Amino acid sequence: MTEGTAGMFSGHNTKGRVLIVDDEPDVRKVIKMALTKAGYDVIEAEDGEKAIAAIKEGENPLLLDVIISDIRMPKVNGVEAINYFQQQWPSVPLIVLTGFPDMEMATGFIKKGIVDYLVKPVEKEKLTAAVAKAIDQREITRL
Amino acid sequence: MTHTQGETPLVSERQAETQPRINVVILGAGKGGRALLESFLNLPRIHLIGVADKDEKAPGLKLARRHHIPTTQDALPLIQQPDIHLIVDVTGDPSFSQNIYRHKHPNAEVLGGAASKVLWDIIQHESLMQTRLFQAEKLAGMGTFASGIAHDINNPLYIILAMAEAIQDETDTASIHQYATSIRDAAQRIQTISQNITHYARASQSEESFPVPVQETLDEALKIAKFATKFHEITVIQNYHDHITIDSKPEELLQVFVNLMINAIHAMENQGLLTLTAENQNGVVLVSIADTGKGISAEHLPKIFDPFFTTKAPGKGTGLGLYNVRSIVRKYKGELTVDSQVGKGTIFSIVFPSVDPTHK
Repeated sequence: MTEGTAGMFSGHNTKGRVLIVDDEPDVRKVIKMALTKAGYDVIEAEDGEKAIAAIKEGENPLLLDVIISDIRMPKVNGVEAINYFQQQWPSVPLIVLTGFPDMEMATGFIKKGIVDYLVKPVEKEKLTAAVAKAIDQREITRL
Repeated sequence: MTHTQGETPLVSERQAETQPRINVVILGAGKGGRALLESFLNLPRIHLIGVADKDEKAPGLKLARRHHIPTTQDALPLIQQPDIHLIVDVTGDPSFSQNIYRHKHPNAEVLGGAASKVLWDIIQHESLMQTRLFQAEKLAGMGTFASGIAHDINNPLYIILAMAEAIQDETDTASIHQYATSIRDAAQRIQTISQNITHYARASQSEESFPVPVQETLDEALKIAKFATKFHEITVIQNYHDHITIDSKPEELLQVFVNLMINAIHAMENQGLLTLTAENQNGVVLVSIADTGKGISAEHLPKIFDPFFTTKAPGKGTGLGLYNVRSIVRKYKGELTVDSQVGKGTIFSIVFPSVDPTHK
C-alpha cells in the first residue's frame, strides 16, 4: 500500500483529499467524520452543480484525490455529474455511494471505470478501504 | 387525437365501436351469474337489459344494482321484452328452460344448458388468466417500488448507524446531543415511510366496492409514485374541484392512479409538471393525469393499451401496466382515453359515471 504518500502530491498533510457530493447534510457529516478520523482531508458539495463549480472555481482538480458521489440529487444529478467528472478530470478516481442496492446500476458504473459502488448504510471500514484503493489508483495515474 | 393514426388496432376494439350492440338478459345471479355479469360489464358491445334471480339477495343482483342494471325476481316479464337479442340462462334449473321458450320474444336467442356451462368455464378460465396478469404486473412493479423504498430508508439508516457509532466514541455532551438529534430526525423519516407503506398494504384487503374519495386516493397514489421513481424537479399541480367519490375498491383505484403517475413521471425524465385533476362535469366524474414529458409517438399511441406492449428494454416492463389500468377503469364503468403530443406531453383522462346522488 502506498497510503500516506498522496499527501506529498496533494500538498496537504493528510492521506489525501476527498470531495463528498451528497444532498443530505447529515450524510455528508457522517462520511466526513469517518474520513477525517481515518486521516483524510474532506471538502463537501450538496449537488453535482455545486461540486463542478467548487472544483472549477477554487479547488485545483490536481489537488483532489477522490470524489465520492451520490447518484440521486437535485439539479445536476450524480449520474450526470459522474459523466462530467470523468470527461473533465479523468485522472480523479470516483466512488459511488448510494441508497440504491441496484446490481445492474453498479455493474454499469464499474464498467465505466469507477473504483467502487457502495450502498448506504456502508461500514466505516468498507468506506475507508474504498478510499484507500482509489488513492492507490490515483498514484498510478500520476506516476 | 386518440387512437387515430397508423397501425392496425386491436380487432375487438374496432368491432365494438362499429358493430351494433347486443341486448342481453341474464337469468340466475348466483356465483355463475355474477361472474358472467362481471365479464359482460367489460365488453362494450354487450348491453345488459336486466338480471333476474328468485333470491333477492343473490350476489349477481347486488352487483347489477351497483351498475344501475335493472334487476328482478320475476324473470318472465323481463324475457318478454321485444328488443332482447340473447337470454343467458345460468339458473341451473332444467325445468325453467321450457318456461323461457314459452314466454320469450320469438326474436330472442337462448343460451342455456350445456352451452351456458361451457361459457361459464371459459369465463372462469379467463378470470384466472386475468388474475395472473395482474399478479405478474404487480410483481414487476414491486421491483422498482422496493428499490425506491430501499433508497429512501437507506439514507436515514446510514445516518442513524453512523451517528450512533459517533456517540460511542464521543465524550463532548454538546456533540452527543447533536448526534442524537440527527438520529431522531432520521428515525422519524423512516417512520413516515413505514406509515405510507402500511397504508398501501392495508388498502389491498377490501372485498367490496364502496364510494372511494378521489382526492385522497390521488394524494395517496402520489406518495407511492414518489417511491417508485426518481422524483426531483417535478412540480405537482393539484386541481381538485369538488368532493368526488368513485364506487370502487380503493386498492384498485389506487393502482390505476399510481400506474398513470409513474408513467407520467418516467415520461418526464425527472423534470416537468405533473397536473392532477379531479372534477364533476355534467354528472360524470373526470379524473386526469397530465405530464409535460416526451409524449407518445403516433405509431405507438394506438397500441399502448394492448397487453404486453412495451417500449422498455426486455426485463424492464411487463407491458401490462396500461392494459390493467384500463381493465380496472372499465370494470367500474369508466372510460380511459389518452391524448399525447411528442415533445409536449401526455394526458390520460378517465371518465366515470357519477354515483354520488348529491352530484347529479
